Amino acid sequence: MKRSFTVVVSAAIVAALSASLSAQWALHANPGVPKGRDGKPNLAAPAPRTADGKPDLSGIWMRTNRTEAPGTAPAGQPPLATFGNIGVGFKDGLPYRPLAADLVKKRAGGLDNPDALCLPQGPLEYHLDPQPREIIQLPQKIVIVFESNYGIRTIYTDGRALPKQGEPQPYWHGYSVGRWDGDTLVVTSNNFRGAQTGMPGDGWLDGKGDPFTDALTLTERFRRVNYGNLQIDVTIDDPKAYTRPFTVRVEQEIVADGSEMIEFICHENQKFLKLTGREN
Amino acid sequence: MKTKVAVVLVGIGLLLAGWPVAAHHSFSAEFDAEKPIKLTGAVTKFEWTNPHAWIYIDAKDEAGNVANWGFELAAASGLMRSGWTRLTLKAGDVVTIEGTRAKNGTNNANAQTVTLASTGKKLFAGANTQPQ
Repeated sequence: MKRSFTVVVSAAIVAALSASLSAQWALHANPGVPKGRDGKPNLAAPAPRTADGKPDLSGIWMRTNRTEAPGTAPAGQPPLATFGNIGVGFKDGLPYRPLAADLVKKRAGGLDNPDALCLPQGPLEYHLDPQPREIIQLPQKIVIVFESNYGIRTIYTDGRALPKQGEPQPYWHGYSVGRWDGDTLVVTSNNFRGAQTGMPGDGWLDGKGDPFTDALTLTERFRRVNYGNLQIDVTIDDPKAYTRPFTVRVEQEIVADGSEMIEFICHENQKFLKLTGREN
Repeated sequence: MKTKVAVVLVGIGLLLAGWPVAAHHSFSAEFDAEKPIKLTGAVTKFEWTNPHAWIYIDAKDEAGNVANWGFELAAASGLMRSGWTRLTLKAGDVVTIEGTRAKNGTNNANAQTVTLASTGKKLFAGANTQPQ
């Protein structure tokens, strides 16, 4: 429902403001967008491929806003995650160890959410933020630029191995390598900064504060279902925080109207610390 | 330009009320949903910024004292996708803003709706609500 609002509203605004909006935010139609007989983008067209025959994930992507009631994911499919709560689709919640359960309690209220602090978001926050992200697929690497908080991830697809935990130093975005399993890009990441640092913003998977530690190995399976839709199945394997690995699904759809990423400098006018009494 | 934006937005503002446009901060950390506020006054400053745009107005309280109030909107990037521009409001425009007060008791609030006095048009504020 929300998704159709977005489409209808975007179309209404663009149609009604085309003359004046163009002065503010020009649309540059992408000639690669497949069109249907009606001349409109055909999002159900096959996914494009790169010169080496792999699916091309490149494009600007928005989350779909689709949600599911807990326990209603179709058989064999991981439940949908949301920005605020990646475990919302599990009837019994996430398999917390005591460390994780305690952290979630302490984080209620969101004061240390990295998103609110203009720090790099957690990996699921990035995938599920209402702002778009752009995937740029190159022959030896894939770069994802996230509009929210200007995060940049590099996924090496040149065949290198994943480094050992602790080598190199932990990164906010972790260290990521990707390989193709048929038409699915399998990205494995480790060396994340985790909640054990105790630093504000470290080790948040989602807006609720579901944590991860430096023991996290993240596996993301990217599948471009068709031209318009991307599915990312994300497996959290963090034995310090959870009693078993679990997998959630993210759905994104392509931005096909020629609109662009918009500059987002989070510290430009940041008043969060002032409003929460932590800065004068 | 401003009029066109308002005309378009008036029809869709209510539909959009639950649509998070680049919602950013933890709403409950900053604002008290139990303390609604509605003020009318002239815009003194319109900050077209991220992570949130801000509108400042000079408004009278019940005792007739004028004070400057700041209202937080969604991010400029999100507002832009909803049809706002940096020119949507200018200093001197009289607006009525409904929202919820800051928890810290200062003259700040979160804007839910912004209504232009000159036209009566209600602009969607793209309020800072916690993304779902």
